[in-house]
Amino acid sequence: MAHRHDPNDGGEFQSPALERLVRGLSRLPGLGRKSATRIALHLVAKESPAAELVEAVNEAREQVRNCSRCGAITEPDPCRICTSERRDPSQLCVVASPVDVLPFEKAGFFRGRYFVLGGLLSPLDGVRADDLPFDRLASRIDEDGVAEIIIALDASVEGETTALYVQRLFEGRDLRLSRLATGIPVGGALAYTDEVTLQRAFQFRRGF
Amino acid sequence: MQIRSARISGFRNLQETRFDFSSRVNVVVGRNGEGKTNLLEALNYFALGRSHRGARNDELIAFDAEALHVELGVVEESGAELACEYGLGRNNGRRFRLDGEALRRRADLVGRLATVFFNPDSIRLVRGSPQRRRHFVDQGIAEIDPSYLVHLTAFQRALKQKTGLLRDVRHGAVDGRRIRDDLEAWNREIATHAAVVCRERGAYANLMTPFADAAHRELAGDEETLRVVYRPRLETAAARVFTEDDAGAPGNPLETPSRTPSEGNPPEAEKPGEIGSLEQDIFKELSYIVGSEIQRGRPLNGPQMDDFEVRLSGSPDEGGEAPGLDLRTYGSQGETRSAAIALILARSDVLHRRRQVRPVLFLDDIFSELDRERTRRLQNMAIRAHQVFVATARPDDLGDWRPADLCAWRVDGGAFTQVKDPTAPL
Ligand SMILES: [Zn+2]
Repeated sequence: MAHRHDPNDGGEFQSPALERLVRGLSRLPGLGRKSATRIALHLVAKESPAAELVEAVNEAREQVRNCSRCGAITEPDPCRICTSERRDPSQLCVVASPVDVLPFEKAGFFRGRYFVLGGLLSPLDGVRADDLPFDRLASRIDEDGVAEIIIALDASVEGETTALYVQRLFEGRDLRLSRLATGIPVGGALAYTDEVTLQRAFQFRRGF
Repeated sequence: MQIRSARISGFRNLQETRFDFSSRVNVVVGRNGEGKTNLLEALNYFALGRSHRGARNDELIAFDAEALHVELGVVEESGAELACEYGLGRNNGRRFRLDGEALRRRADLVGRLATVFFNPDSIRLVRGSPQRRRHFVDQGIAEIDPSYLVHLTAFQRALKQKTGLLRDVRHGAVDGRRIRDDLEAWNREIATHAAVVCRERGAYANLMTPFADAAHRELAGDEETLRVVYRPRLETAAARVFTEDDAGAPGNPLETPSRTPSEGNPPEAEKPGEIGSLEQDIFKELSYIVGSEIQRGRPLNGPQMDDFEVRLSGSPDEGGEAPGLDLRTYGSQGETRSAAIALILARSDVLHRRRQVRPVLFLDDIFSELDRERTRRLQNMAIRAHQVFVATARPDDLGDWRPADLCAWRVDGGAFTQVKDPTAPL
């Protein structure tokens, strides 16, 4: 195998302080050593935004929390969605993570409330049913008089299994349980739709 | 389907070469290690999206190169020309292009260039492990129905999760009584996909049997009957497969759209015997053994334990209706090799029947595994419908085979020379 030299591979800076910063940054999600180095050099440069960043991080850490009722990211607790009179408490949308709330809110069509599971069943990642807040979900349903649960989880094996679990958990109750449909994206050309998406779209076709 | 030309650079020990291939038979002779198999590997890589030998990029890229690049000029059945390109770099970079356009996912490659590969290892299909036969059939199904791969990988992923869950119990990380609800959810997800896997595997065995039988009769030169019989480990799946088999009315099961009922209610009511109820049956069967699985700490049943019998029975006048000999355990070496070749050829026939595509056939050093008579028959069968690439270290094994339009090369140290007579001694 040919030996190649990469200036950012393996080498360390002569400044232990800078080295510590690079290591800290490279532990952040999505950052390798290369990008961590670039960011670190930017942060220690003269016109550095470091002071503002530190302030912003501290403030965010103080203010931001997960809503104790739904798990969404919020400053006031409970969050505005959970307390708003204009949101319909009888519709509850179950999502895996706080970021999954954002696309719904951006689109603005959903007038119900959310419940964030904080994960999906995945024993390989150490997540079993005991580790997810299904008890809290159940009491939330009772307290709010939820009449419909919309399960909006990934179409992955873990998402499907978690959806099956939720369905099983509440199927005896007087509740409407539904899941997001899968199909051809709006504006998507039929000719470029993969076979599986097409097959699903076909199976769950609608009448006019 | 034919590979008409190739330009190869930076691939293992192969010198940068441009090939114009015969549309019928191409023969490469050379001693072992000189580059015969490397050429076939380079041609087959685009078809699979990976090396058929399981080699990593770093092993495929020539030691003095940073990247490799291969361009294939392919002609489809319709006569349409297709430029297939791939490039691999160190650090696992890889790019596939079709007519200059980049393919985003490996799944987009499936079926674009269809090939069938024979080597001394693949003809151990009948004697080898059940896993080998499952893999062979799964690949065959995926060739004709790419959506099968989605169910297969989902099944495998869910099984892996379930295995992890049971392993946690075995290692004492969690109390077995506390995971029954988890197991139920995983079993539901497994059943959804296992139903499709079982149904398609059974249908494929039925579909390939007549082709395998015909190929086997011709290859072995006798009147014995070859059958491929699906043996699912799940009883509920076995019951279903036999019912269809006995009724002789599987129709075109592969054309029945498989469905994933967990998604909600299909627009029409479930018909009895449809995959929906097979799914429920499988779920019940899996639920029945949950206790033992917790106790043993591993999954105890499912399509991961399926097998396919390859049965050979006498001609009708000597009792051809009998179940016949199970070649997996009772076949002689000659019988199992002939049967394996017949199965592999049948996969090409199934692909042709369902997708009107004839794969390119690679025969890598397998004539030495067969006697003269079978070698001659295989040669004739191979070229009847396919473009063929033959690699051999022993030119003698070609015998007196001189089909029309034969192109031949000798390879020494990765350098190819076109030759008139492939059987000239090395
Ligand atoms: Zn909230």
